[in-house]
Amino acid sequence: MNGRMNWAKWLVGLAGAALLCAVPRFFSLDYYLHMFVMSEIYAVLAMSLALIVGFSGQVSMGHAAFYGVGAYASALISLKSGLPFWVTIWCAGAVAGLLSFVIGKMVLRLRGHFLAITTAFFGVLVTLILNNWIDLTNGPMGVPGIPRPSPISLPGLTLSFETRADYYYLGLVFVGLVAFLLYRIVNSRIGNALIAIRENEELARSIGVDAMAYKVFAFTLGGALAGMAGSFYAHYILFISPVTFTIAESINLLVMIIFGGMTTLFGPVFGAVALTLLPEFLRMAGSLRLVIYGVALVIFIIWLPLGVWGTIKSRWMERRG
Amino acid sequence: MLMVFLQQALNGIILGCIYALIALGLSLIFGILEVANFAHGEFYMLGAFMALFSMSGLGVSFFPALLIAMIGMGIIGALIERAVFRPIVGKPLINSMLLSFGLSTALANLALLLFGADPQKIESGLADYHLRFFGLHLTAERLMVLVVSVALVILLAWFIQSTRTGKAMRAVSQDRVAAQLAGINVSRIYTITFAISGALAAAAGTMVGAMFFVSPEMGFSVVLKCFIIIALGGFGKIRGVIVAAVMIGLAESLGGGFISYAYKDAYPFLLLVLLFMLKPQGLTGGSGR
Repeated sequence: MNGRMNWAKWLVGLAGAALLCAVPRFFSLDYYLHMFVMSEIYAVLAMSLALIVGFSGQVSMGHAAFYGVGAYASALISLKSGLPFWVTIWCAGAVAGLLSFVIGKMVLRLRGHFLAITTAFFGVLVTLILNNWIDLTNGPMGVPGIPRPSPISLPGLTLSFETRADYYYLGLVFVGLVAFLLYRIVNSRIGNALIAIRENEELARSIGVDAMAYKVFAFTLGGALAGMAGSFYAHYILFISPVTFTIAESINLLVMIIFGGMTTLFGPVFGAVALTLLPEFLRMAGSLRLVIYGVALVIFIIWLPLGVWGTIKSRWMERRG
Repeated sequence: MLMVFLQQALNGIILGCIYALIALGLSLIFGILEVANFAHGEFYMLGAFMALFSMSGLGVSFFPALLIAMIGMGIIGALIERAVFRPIVGKPLINSMLLSFGLSTALANLALLLFGADPQKIESGLADYHLRFFGLHLTAERLMVLVVSVALVILLAWFIQSTRTGKAMRAVSQDRVAAQLAGINVSRIYTITFAISGALAAAAGTMVGAMFFVSPEMGFSVVLKCFIIIALGGFGKIRGVIVAAVMIGLAESLGGGFISYAYKDAYPFLLLVLLFMLKPQGLTGGSGR
């Protein structure tokens, strides 16, 4: 029984992977591919935020700051030193991870709303610095001319990164690796400890869980992954400016994980893809777009507080008993 | 140098009074409904527009317009509580955060659509009278802001301390279930709380519109600062919130004047981090949760 279930899972997984790989064949328009690549970037961001908010229960409203710091770190290092993307993405992860470690150490003693507000203001601070430290970041003008990743050739496959499809495949690998890493972590002792902290921090500490260390770990890893997503973004769009990494983006990420449901790993991915693609349909609404978005968000939170995927899952669990 | 310092300090205190009005409302909502209202900045913005339009449309002068804005936003605040916040009372914090953020986005963009992006000024008619004392310079308009906000804060404090409704509000914020058992109509208290907060925000918005400008995007940066203020001052503590509001006003004004204007929005954050490091239990003590 169990063996057959595993087989079925593998088959579904393989079919899904094949389908995802075939996407550029069906949607060859640049516009669609761009939306898919952005969905991939948001999927990584949403999963990294879900590790902090969903699994550990620490509400961060400044996640876009780490995304931005990663993007700037990667762009500036590659422009100043000429290192390829394959090196600078790790630099971006290291810089953003180090920053989130320091910030996490400072702010994770705070709970609930204190934490949310402090992280929100940290995000504002980063935007201010990106705008005003003109010698380093070129201020509101942004950083143009970021190099593309250097081509890679595997047996039977060459990615030159001249087309969006190449980025799409790279993004697919990126999402897969991050999902795998986070899946292993949340299903390990670390994941159990994080969930225990989310449910009841005092209780977790009373049975010997070093809550602070686990929270800082989740915050650091989440920040580092967001930084790597930033690096991917920078070397894909080839231009970055502070407006991309404001608090509105942090909240957008929170909305994604709420929309998908944040206590699973699939939920954030679903939310990221849905909320990257859906707003495109709102483009016809023109200047009413943000009004509709806001109203939709209000209605959504009132009606589906568990998120779409979370609601489906809990209904399904109920039916199975 | 000393004169410049004192002048900036005076401006900071006036700014702090404005912040206190908004933050007190926010803190009331937070203490009583336990929801984070990021749309509070939009209450402040809409209140300012209401005063602006009642002056240009109805032709009333500044003080009646201030009153109209306060009453109008009180009603709108109560309606918004009924329609939007009531269903999510008691749900996790992140729900109310995102819900009110959605509300804030909708209201701000609706205002942008209806009223346009150009900043507009409310003419109080008091800006031309100048007062000088000890070498400091103050317009009658700023003096009015100071007097009106202090009066409103005193009125609020009296209301909460001494009236029956105020006592019921305090009871609900301490223990919702016990208050209900004691026969307090909790949903009525929720509505009143939103009405009061909306009216205070409208007053602040109108006065800022007189001193500076009214524009659809004036709300969001203020609401973040006011959250910092209630975090600094302690949730639900009137005196702590007032002290923190004046501190933030001073930090912004003095930091903007003497250190760097570009980073003026960063000083409240630095103050907050500093406080959490030195005194994790908050400005006025009490639990840090």
